[in-house]
Amino acid sequence: MALLPQQTGQMIASVDCELMSMPKVAIIISGFAVLLLAVAIIVLQPTGPQTRPLLSFSAPFVFGHFNIPADNPLTAEGVKLGRRLFYDPLLSANNRVSCATCHLQQLAFTDGKAHSVGVSGIPLPFNSMSLANTLWGPQHFFWNGRAQSLEEQALMPIQDPNEMAQDMNELIDKLRADEVYVRLFGAAYGEISAKNIGRAIASFERTLISANSKYDQFLRGELKLNTQEERGRKLFMAHPDAKASLRGGNCIDCHSQFLTSGFNTQFDGFTNNGLEAEETLEPGLEALTGLAADRGKFKVPSLRNIALTAPYMHDGRFSSLEQVLDHYNGGIKLSSTLSPLIFEANNQQNDSTLSLNLNKEEKQALIAFLHTLTDNTFINDKRFSDPFSKQVQHNE
Amino acid sequence: MNKVWIAIFTVILILAGSAYMAFYYHQSGSVILEFHARVGDKSLEFGQPLYPNPGGKGRFSIRAFQVYLSDIHLVGSKQDYQVSDSYHLARFDNETRRYRIELSDVPYDEYSDVMISIGVDEEANSSLMPRGDLDPNGRMAWSWEVGYKFLLFEGGLEQENSRLPLVYHVGFSENLKKQRFNLPKTITPGSAPIHFDVDVLALFDSHQSIDMATLPSVKFDRNDASLLAENYANLLSLSVKESHNPVEN
Repeated sequence: MALLPQQTGQMIASVDCELMSMPKVAIIISGFAVLLLAVAIIVLQPTGPQTRPLLSFSAPFVFGHFNIPADNPLTAEGVKLGRRLFYDPLLSANNRVSCATCHLQQLAFTDGKAHSVGVSGIPLPFNSMSLANTLWGPQHFFWNGRAQSLEEQALMPIQDPNEMAQDMNELIDKLRADEVYVRLFGAAYGEISAKNIGRAIASFERTLISANSKYDQFLRGELKLNTQEERGRKLFMAHPDAKASLRGGNCIDCHSQFLTSGFNTQFDGFTNNGLEAEETLEPGLEALTGLAADRGKFKVPSLRNIALTAPYMHDGRFSSLEQVLDHYNGGIKLSSTLSPLIFEANNQQNDSTLSLNLNKEEKQALIAFLHTLTDNTFINDKRFSDPFSKQVQHNE
Repeated sequence: MNKVWIAIFTVILILAGSAYMAFYYHQSGSVILEFHARVGDKSLEFGQPLYPNPGGKGRFSIRAFQVYLSDIHLVGSKQDYQVSDSYHLARFDNETRRYRIELSDVPYDEYSDVMISIGVDEEANSSLMPRGDLDPNGRMAWSWEVGYKFLLFEGGLEQENSRLPLVYHVGFSENLKKQRFNLPKTITPGSAPIHFDVDVLALFDSHQSIDMATLPSVKFDRNDASLLAENYANLLSLSVKESHNPVEN
């Protein structure tokens, strides 16, 4: 927008040249038109800060389409502010808990605990979810999908009494008293407000793209997977069909082939994967939709960096990938909303047990493939690290 | 003075001409296709075992139903209008049980036929390009080595004391079904929507009646997939009804 007046100037000059031979009336009329245009430009000029689009942003072709909300474009200023807010314990009631307390970069933005613990010290019902590649996959956030945008999501843990327990008005006062934040908010959004806190954190989260794992390098044709990993990849990508002699790990029915996340259409990325029998089903997605058919459905997470994000499932009940595979291989519990794709998947024909019936080598191959999703570039990327750390500041 | 009159006259002529072009000349516009789902003579409901197993005992429920409609053509008196990137993922899990495609900027013509394919053409089926509603990370994608599911049906069959999961994922390029619908009267851009019935039951009870208990899932077995494809060739029909409220149970 800063370039506009200059451009208009050039345009006026060229228009004037062409008007030389026309009658005076025409010149007067066009003079008015130019004046009107100038007034319009001044009036319509946005009053917000001058921001720069984020230049370093890129994503692999195979990840596909994504949407960034029109009212929160990715800007260098917004991301810089969001990164600082993400790592700042000032955002909690006791000034000791930040977003990064439960989302550590070294663990692909999880915390290694079955149940995260915040300000209250009471373990939360849920496991901290990785923040990699949130631009793709289900755009309903939290395990039960209760936030409909990252902007909305970002503000909820801050105010949750068991997480950061921070009163929003008090937080705005704290930020207004801090001249660094006054400057950063001024540059990114103009003013300090709850909405802009959400926008900034969401912007930073959108930049957390994991796309340089061994699997990514394989997809780019830069390397080959070893025999075991390749066997695991094939199993991952196949729904078993004993009749067609196709063995499968059944992963792709819920975890998309490249993103390895749940599907982004409507609530297709939420499923009941057989953790509980009917009597003990938790509400899950039902808490949001009110539909009995959604009881026990939880968000299908991305499996990117899965070897780093133990323990597993929404409640962190499994401590290892072996336990996860054992769950799908004989631990499934039947309920009315169990995914028919899990209910039906069996590598053994005419077998009525609820099991994939994978053998030991197949399970090991799947785990080997899951390890190819670990992205060391992502967990060491300086752009995503704690800006308060002295070492990082030197590197910037 | 004369010159001024000539100028004014010219302006009036140009304005009148433009107005004529704008309002009376045959314009391009949109053509709307509306697809209304039902299950035989019943309305489409999700998650309830309402529908008799066509070839055997028990009743089945529907958890999910999605199908790719693609390569839409309108056959006109002067031209064929081919919709670009025409891959439409039809789903009916909304209140109206309706899926709507709006084709915009269709050039003016009198169109007598609509051509729709069920499935995805071979070239797009083996590509990673996200065109139209094709999404290699979507629910309808198998792995890139296999391609897309053309039709997805998931549900359950309730028999006396048992429940059987139903999984019908049908794909493979040979199962692309091209359909041609001759309209009772020609349409032009801007006409009323063209209504189609989508009879989900046709998948199990048209060319052949299927006993869901003996064939509870279809995925990669080529014969089974082609059996269901012969049936889904009868999925669509031009709607004959005047009103389009969901049918009553």
